[in-house]
Amino acid sequence: MRLCVRFVFVILCCAFVHYGAARAEAQYLNPKIVEKKVTIRSAAILPAKVEIVKESAKGSEMMVAESADISVSVMEAVGYTLQQKKISVVPNQFEPASMDDSRKYQLADIQTRYDALLPKLVDKSKDVKKARFTLGDEVMLLNVHKDADVLVFIRGQGRMFTKGKTAFSIINIFDLDFPFATITVGIVDARSGEVLAFTKPLSASKVLKDKKALNKMIEKSFKKLPATSTP
Amino acid sequence: MSSKRSCQVFLLTLCLLLTSLPASAARAPRVATPKPIVFEPVVEEQFVFGKVDQDLLSEIKLLDERFEKEGAVFHEKNLDTYLTRVGMAVVADKKLENVEWKFRALRDPTPNAFALPNGSIYINTGLLALLDDENQLAAVIAHEITHVSERHTYLRNRSLRKMMLAMNIINTIGNWNPIGGPAGLAISLIASVSPFMLAISILGYSKDQEKEADLEGLKAAAAAGFVPDGMPNSFKAMQRDVEGEQLNSFYSDHPKLQERVNYTSSSISADARKLTEDEAKTAKSDYLAVMEIADRHNVELAINEGRFRSAVFVSQKLVSLHPESTENVFYLAESYRTLGPRNAELTDQQRTSGAKKKAAKTRAKRTLEEQDAELLKTPEGQATWKVNSEKAETLFLRALELNRFNASAHRGLGMLYERLDRKHDAAGEYAKYLELAPNAIDTERVRRRLAVLRESMN
Repeated sequence: MRLCVRFVFVILCCAFVHYGAARAEAQYLNPKIVEKKVTIRSAAILPAKVEIVKESAKGSEMMVAESADISVSVMEAVGYTLQQKKISVVPNQFEPASMDDSRKYQLADIQTRYDALLPKLVDKSKDVKKARFTLGDEVMLLNVHKDADVLVFIRGQGRMFTKGKTAFSIINIFDLDFPFATITVGIVDARSGEVLAFTKPLSASKVLKDKKALNKMIEKSFKKLPATSTP
Repeated sequence: MSSKRSCQVFLLTLCLLLTSLPASAARAPRVATPKPIVFEPVVEEQFVFGKVDQDLLSEIKLLDERFEKEGAVFHEKNLDTYLTRVGMAVVADKKLENVEWKFRALRDPTPNAFALPNGSIYINTGLLALLDDENQLAAVIAHEITHVSERHTYLRNRSLRKMMLAMNIINTIGNWNPIGGPAGLAISLIASVSPFMLAISILGYSKDQEKEADLEGLKAAAAAGFVPDGMPNSFKAMQRDVEGEQLNSFYSDHPKLQERVNYTSSSISADARKLTEDEAKTAKSDYLAVMEIADRHNVELAINEGRFRSAVFVSQKLVSLHPESTENVFYLAESYRTLGPRNAELTDQQRTSGAKKKAAKTRAKRTLEEQDAELLKTPEGQATWKVNSEKAETLFLRALELNRFNASAHRGLGMLYERLDRKHDAAGEYAKYLELAPNAIDTERVRRRLAVLRESMN
């Protein structure tokens, strides 16, 4: 009987994972966006930081090169989604090869400021609606393209399972240990540093390698963000 | 023996075996009781690279490149040369397979240093600023070199992999234990306790490596001609805990600092070279002079990351080195301005474990602006802000006395006055800044602030 209950649970869990039922999008908008006090026409996307690890039965392994590739893919997906919303994306000013040390430092410092705020953003995402979070006007030190209304910060984590780990996770299905990908996107006013929008889609990690699925996931996570309508 | 009985015995034996395996593995590299330093030539044991190690190495190399690309490494010609000189003195002629020694400063205001197994040693600017002299720096570097030369990362990686596999197997046995009765209960019990014990073993292994790195590093630094006291003194420097972050956590990968001071001190022989008071003074000022630019950079980083007490601590050091330097005085002023309603040094009460835990919780929950606002609601916070703002103003004016063209001091004063709601004064200072530094990177930022101020004044 006990085993029977376990098997039913296993089947339910498999269905949950297989059909991507775990996919959930959470999006939070600053009242300035909701009340249309601020209109986003143009965005500067900062280099994404998406870290993925390979999980085997023997533990985690870094995937530095793959993480860099996926970071670029996620940036492209976010850019594509913004363009769908009629928000233009300014040319990338942050190619490592084109930056001198001081420019690299400025970028790193702003990214650090965002990283320091991120745990609070994730924990209390609803407070974005209360306009609680800001990076301060230090964001202006980045001197991004003058047309850019906002800066877009992308962070992510993902776990890729090897066959061995997949086997263990299926056998130990009650541990609820699955490969997943979480991506967070923060949209910040390019002048005041105020967090205008924040999304944190969660999905099975396979989307990271599937451009279409990735685009769809990001698109869904921006569903509430109004498209630019005013000139 | 029935097949069910033999199955029970097999599972029990397996559980016990897996539980005891990592514990014995963890005991293997335990370091013997410290003895006075004896300078013996180091005999290299052959480390054979397996596929797992090669895979790790290639990932590490990419990570190393990423630090450079992402602007995490601080480059300043004199500092780079200095770190390389001290590092190579400790390395001596040690040549290791798949190791290329590099010594770099990492743009991070937290006091830390680490080594990558490919020979890249990173010392945070926060630690460089906390140390007092070259001997302490050599000790820190020697500690990290030992991690590389003893192949600690590879060994830990191998050990972790074995333990993780064991944990997964034990976990599976626990989840799918079909055996009933006392034997089944025993298996379930062992399976549920074992992952916890394994986790402890994993961490304990690392603690032994740290101790080994301390003691072997001490030997290496002394052999390179540095004063052996540098090692315990570097721990004493770290004990300052300027930000009140050192918590007595349940388990940390490094032995406690006082413990490290004790065992490294007791391993130094009585006749080992020591610095006289004058030598120590000279060593300190020489070191500070080399670190001046890195320290200034670290003050900026500390302010950016909300480590205001560290910023005050380091800029005070800078001013003590060159009290007539307008830049150094400016950095101290800026540190006091951003310190806001916080006290510059932690009180005894703030140093208690309970207070540190409470402060850590507040940091995790509240933004810096919210922390400021909360402190300013209290009479103590208001009084502290009054003192800090007065100090900041005096220092900004002093920086301008030393060099009236110091544009940054005008900007700092502008920000201070803006916060004190002295709008006219703030606008005047911003205007002077824009006049003196029309092409600075923050021109747009200051211009915007000035525009907002002028609008609010009309």
